Amino acid sequence: MTDQWQRVHPASPFVRGWVAIVGLAYIYWQNTNDLTLAERLSGERLRWTVVIGAGALLVVLVFYALSWYFTRYMITPSHVYVNSGMIFRSQKQARIDRVQGIEVAQPLVARLLGLAELHFDVADGSQSMLRLSFLRKADAQQLRALILDRAHAARGGQAQPDVPETEQAPHDVAPAGAAPETGVLMAKVPHGRLLASLFLRMPTIIGLLSALALGIMTLSGIGGMVAGLIPALLAFGGWFYKELNNSWNFSAAATDTGLRVSRGLADTRQQSIPAGRVQSIQVTSPALWRLLGWYRVEVNALGVGSQEEAQNLLVLPVGDFDAVARVMGILLPDLGVENQRKVLFTAINSGGEEHGFTLSPQRARPLSPGAWKNQGFLATDTTVITRYGWLARVTAFTAHNRVQGLMLRQGPLERRRQLAGLRIYSAGGTVTGYIQQVDAQIAGKFFEEQSRRIAGR
Amino acid sequence: MESPMERSPNDFRPVAPEYFTVKLIGWALNTALYLLIALVPLILRLFGVQTPNWLAIAPPLAVLLVALLVLRLLRRRVRALGYLEREEDLVVRSGVMWRKQLVIPYGRMQYVEVTSGPLERKYGLCKLTLNTASGSATAVIPGLGQRTGEDLRERLSAAGEAKML
Repeated sequence: MTDQWQRVHPASPFVRGWVAIVGLAYIYWQNTNDLTLAERLSGERLRWTVVIGAGALLVVLVFYALSWYFTRYMITPSHVYVNSGMIFRSQKQARIDRVQGIEVAQPLVARLLGLAELHFDVADGSQSMLRLSFLRKADAQQLRALILDRAHAARGGQAQPDVPETEQAPHDVAPAGAAPETGVLMAKVPHGRLLASLFLRMPTIIGLLSALALGIMTLSGIGGMVAGLIPALLAFGGWFYKELNNSWNFSAAATDTGLRVSRGLADTRQQSIPAGRVQSIQVTSPALWRLLGWYRVEVNALGVGSQEEAQNLLVLPVGDFDAVARVMGILLPDLGVENQRKVLFTAINSGGEEHGFTLSPQRARPLSPGAWKNQGFLATDTTVITRYGWLARVTAFTAHNRVQGLMLRQGPLERRRQLAGLRIYSAGGTVTGYIQQVDAQIAGKFFEEQSRRIAGR
Repeated sequence: MESPMERSPNDFRPVAPEYFTVKLIGWALNTALYLLIALVPLILRLFGVQTPNWLAIAPPLAVLLVALLVLRLLRRRVRALGYLEREEDLVVRSGVMWRKQLVIPYGRMQYVEVTSGPLERKYGLCKLTLNTASGSATAVIPGLGQRTGEDLRERLSAAGEAKML
């Protein structure tokens, strides 16, 4: 199936193009709104409707067929080629040895049809992402394994003596290092826990309260306020669905290079996150989750997933301390301290000054009441750990060699109390290390030390 | 009062003093624009439209007040700008009320840009932007002389390439 031009699955154009058909139906419905159903389905009118409808459908189908006909792909031992477009031809290619990872994604409609598309993460700095859409899911999985295999061989890793053809069962040729399909399960989120975790988050609580208020107001006949609450409810619904869609059926497995994550409700996706591409890790614990000891882990990663989403990569939607420790163990194996587990526990759970954390002094209290006892930082041999927050806690881990820049900041109120803050920037997402209101002398000294540390790596 | 920002103020190279003129012109244009908007009720009144007293008087006063406060800080803001080329990294300082110091190691630098708008060009100034892989860690030094900016860019690029090897 390789080394020659292949076509994608014939249903592919429909996955993105179904909107056109629905649109046609909608336009028809809108323009005949004044007719009853009986009028629509009788006599002369019916004939014209059918003729015009069939004509429009034919046009759409011809476009689909052409689009399908002109989309081809080829996989050679050194390159992946994807050609598409009829009038505006597009020919994309990627060198196989530059392929860092391949994501198998299934948008909703594709999923109903049993199709999947491949997103290639290519490390050649090109802006446009290479996509291959759509193939049958099993084929997509096989192709992914094959290409990763070739990428591995092309990079001069343990080259397979013979690149396995996909006709063979892939399990037969899946030794360690070749096909990262199977890995040790690191974390799995049961549906019940995910739902519980979402209901314990602030947006849900606010959403439910406003729904309650809406109910009461409607019952007691105050209609005027209802309109104001509806947008809030819609926003909440959107948020809830997005979270659910992102985290449903979540599982993370260890591979030889990093973590392999699969998740999704309507759109399922599988991503591999090589540990070497992780720039920064953020562990969040919303207020109510802290009672249950739950955490959420997001990372900044370069070249994983589509960069257009201004969103961090989720590597654990909700999990207990053990799950966090396992995931962190893969993405940031060396925390640069002796007893990593205890330091991690201090960093994300208990707070305090143990293991050398530097905290805000007491004079920071008026500026951050509640939080001052918790906010602080620790620089180990490899990593800088920063922590802030009062009810909800946020901890960020950035390896020294991943820090892109440091900013020392001091506002007027902080100056009066001889305090200063720092920000630690890394690439690939919005995770930023925040050091809030520590002693100004310590902040200045840390700024100097840390800038020397990051420049040296 | 001791503060980390006053650590070594003399080490920082200041920006060109002409930059204050550029900022001043920018300030004047902005103030004029806001003032014009704030004066709308008063002008309407002159044309005979009924407007309450406070609406005619309060907005222009507020605009003038804020503009004067900004003006007071303007010179100090320009003076607070500075940069420091060190062995391994570049430090950029800014801000009067909210003081900031951004450090970027030469090894993290992706590219350096020198740009200049029409007003800056008139005064022979340019703005240098140093980009890293992180959008937030971007160092901006406005108000450099054309020559200084070009030289600095050359030096930074050379330092970055040396680090990359």
